[in-house]
Amino acid sequence: MMITVKLIGPFVNQLGFSEKEMEIAPPSTVDGLLALVGIDKSRPRIVTRNGRAVAPGEEVHEGDRIVISPIYSGG
Amino acid sequence: MNGWTGQILRVDLTTQTFKIETFSEDFAHKWIGGRGFAAKILYDELKPGIDPLGPDNKLIVAVGPIAGIPAPNTGKAVVAAKSPITGGYGDGNLGTRITEHLRKCGYDALIVEGRAEHPTMLYIEDSKVEFLPAGEVWGKGTYETNDWIYAKYGKGVGVLNIGQGGENLVRYAVIRSLEGRAGGRPGMGAVMGSKRLKAIVAKGTKPIPQADPAGMKKLGHDDLKKVHEIDKQSGWSIQSTTGVLAWCNEVAALPVRNFRKTHHPDAWKVDGERLNNARIATYGCPNCTMRCGITIHDDAGRESELDYENVGLLGPNLEIFDLPQVGALNYMCDDYGIDTMSGGCVLSFYADAVDHGATAGDIKFGDAEGFKKVLTAIALRQGEVGNLLAEGSLRAAKKIGQGSEAYAMQVKGLEVAAYNCKFIPGMALAFGVSPIGAHHKESWVITFELKQTSRESYGPEKAQKVIDLQRIRGGLFEYIVSCRFPWIELGWGLENYPKYFNAVSGLNWTLDDFWTVSDRVYAMIKLFWLREYRQTDRKLDYPPAVWFDPANVDTEGPIAGKHLEYDKYDGLLQHYYDIRGYDRRGIPTRATLERLGLAAEATAAEKFGSLT
Repeated sequence: MMITVKLIGPFVNQLGFSEKEMEIAPPSTVDGLLALVGIDKSRPRIVTRNGRAVAPGEEVHEGDRIVISPIYSGG
Repeated sequence: MNGWTGQILRVDLTTQTFKIETFSEDFAHKWIGGRGFAAKILYDELKPGIDPLGPDNKLIVAVGPIAGIPAPNTGKAVVAAKSPITGGYGDGNLGTRITEHLRKCGYDALIVEGRAEHPTMLYIEDSKVEFLPAGEVWGKGTYETNDWIYAKYGKGVGVLNIGQGGENLVRYAVIRSLEGRAGGRPGMGAVMGSKRLKAIVAKGTKPIPQADPAGMKKLGHDDLKKVHEIDKQSGWSIQSTTGVLAWCNEVAALPVRNFRKTHHPDAWKVDGERLNNARIATYGCPNCTMRCGITIHDDAGRESELDYENVGLLGPNLEIFDLPQVGALNYMCDDYGIDTMSGGCVLSFYADAVDHGATAGDIKFGDAEGFKKVLTAIALRQGEVGNLLAEGSLRAAKKIGQGSEAYAMQVKGLEVAAYNCKFIPGMALAFGVSPIGAHHKESWVITFELKQTSRESYGPEKAQKVIDLQRIRGGLFEYIVSCRFPWIELGWGLENYPKYFNAVSGLNWTLDDFWTVSDRVYAMIKLFWLREYRQTDRKLDYPPAVWFDPANVDTEGPIAGKHLEYDKYDGLLQHYYDIRGYDRRGIPTRATLERLGLAAEATAAEKFGSLT
C-alpha cells in the first residue's frame, strides 16, 4: 500500500529526506513504519496520522499521511 | 548575602537623582529575583489606577541569583511595569549583556521612576550613575541606536534600548538588546519611551557574590559544554524553534489569515527547512551554547533574525509565504522596537476587519508591501490607521465595532502567540490564564494534548499540566532568570537548577521549594490585576471569541467542523481555579494567599476588592 511519510525538524537532516511516498506491505503498524524509516527507538517523538496523534501499535492504512516529529515544547 | 548583591538601584528621571537601596534576606528568599522581584515591587509601590504611560509608572529591570554567571543559559533579564496594553501587570525577558553588567555594578534590580525632560540615556558604571542626553538618536531605530552606543562604549557593555515604536508609545513596543534580542511584549518599550528614556547602558567590574565561586565556575562551564553536546546530537538548532511550523501546519495549529485557518498548502515555503537553507548567520544570547537566532537576508539585503513566533505571525498569519518578505517585516518590527507577535496579530486583525467590511481600507492578506506601509504608520503613529493600530487589536476593535472584537486575537489586550487554538482547549486555557495576557512563555501544552491525552478533552489533567508548566516556565525560569530552552527543547534536567542556585546562594533548596515561590509569584500578580480590575471576573481568562465560533470551523483537515465550546472551556477554567485555590473570579482565596505567605498582601488587597 502507498503512504506518505513527512519528517519534521532534525529528522530531515538525520534521515536524508523531508517527505516521500512509500510503498509498504500491509499490515503495518506505526512502530513497524518507524523501524523501516530508520527512526531511533530511543528518540522522543510524536507521530501523527492525517493530523491526529497515533500510538505505536496502531495500524497504518492505504493513503495515510504519517508525520514524524520530535517533541516540540513551544519555544 | 551570597547569591544576591543585596542592592537595588533606584533612579528618578524627573529629578536626575539616584539612590542605592538594600533588601533583606527574607525578601530575597521569598521572591528570588526577576519576575518575583518585579511583581512584588510593582504591587507595593504603584498607586492603583495610574496611567501606565505616565510618570507614575515604574520600569523594573530585574535579574536573578544565577543570572549573568556562566551556566546554561543565564544571559537573560526581566523587564516589567504596569502594562500600557493590558492595564495589568506586564513583563518579559530578553537576552542581554546588561544582566551580567548590572550584577557586576552591584545590583539585582533597577527601578526607573519619573519622566525625563529630554531624551535621556541612563549610564551605569559600577557605583557611578549618569543621565546623558540622547537627543541625537531620538527618532532613530534600535539598530542605529545600538551602533551609536557601541561607538561610545565598545561592544562589551550591556544595552537596553527602544526604537520609534517605544518613543511613539505604541502599546506593544518592546525593549531591545544585542541587535536581535527583544523583550517586554506588553508594552515595556512604550513605558520606557513615556519616560523619554532611549537607552540604558551598564558596565560593571565587581565580582558577583557567590557561596562557592570555584564550584559554580566548574559546574557552569561543564554544563554549558554538555548542553552544547546534547544540542549537536539532537540536531535541535538546525531549525531551532522554527521546526515547529511544519508540525503546526500538519496538526492544524498554525495561524493562517488572522487565525481563520489552521493550515495552508504553501506553509512549507517558510518552514524551518527553508529557513535553515537560507541561513547566513546564527545569533544567540550571552551564556548560550544552543543558539536559536536563525538569520537570513530580507528582501532589502538586511540581516533579519527569525524564530517560529515571528515567522508564524508575520508569515502565514498574513498569508505571506516568502521568507525574505517575512524577514523584512521582522526586521522592521525589530528596528522600530515593536513586538513581532503583537505586530503580526494587529496587522492580521486589520486585514481581517477590512476583508469583513468592518472598516475601510485597501490592505489585503498576502500584500507584503501594503503591510510594510501599515507597520511604518503604526511605528510612527502616522494617520488615522497608524494611530488606531498602535493601540493594539482590542482597542482598535472596540473603536471599529461591527463585531470585530471577536477576531481581535488577544487575551486581556495582549495578542496571542503563533498557536491556533481553534480546537486545542488546553493551549487556549494556557493563553487564557497567562498572567500578562496571552503568551506562550508561561505554558505550552499542545504536544501533551495530542500525545498524552486527547485533543477533545477539557478534563482536569489539562488544567494540572498548564499549572505544572507555569510553575516551571512562568515561575522558576522567570525569577531565577534563565532561558528555559535547555530544559524544554533538549531535556536538560530541572534538577540542575537547584544545583546552580545552591552553589551561588549556599542554600540547600529543592525543586519543591521553588514551586512554592512560583505559586506565590502568580498569586501576587493576580492581586495586581484585582487592584486594577476591581470588577474582575473569569471572562478575563477567556481566549478570543472566534475560536468558539461555529461559523469559523475548518471545512477540511484534521479538525474539520470542530471549535471550542464555551461551557466546556468554562469547566476547564474552573478546574484550573480549583487546583490553584482561586475563587470563581480567578482570584486567590485568602486561605491560598496565607498558605503562600501573603497574609499582609491579602489584607492590603481587601482595600480595593473582596477576597473569598
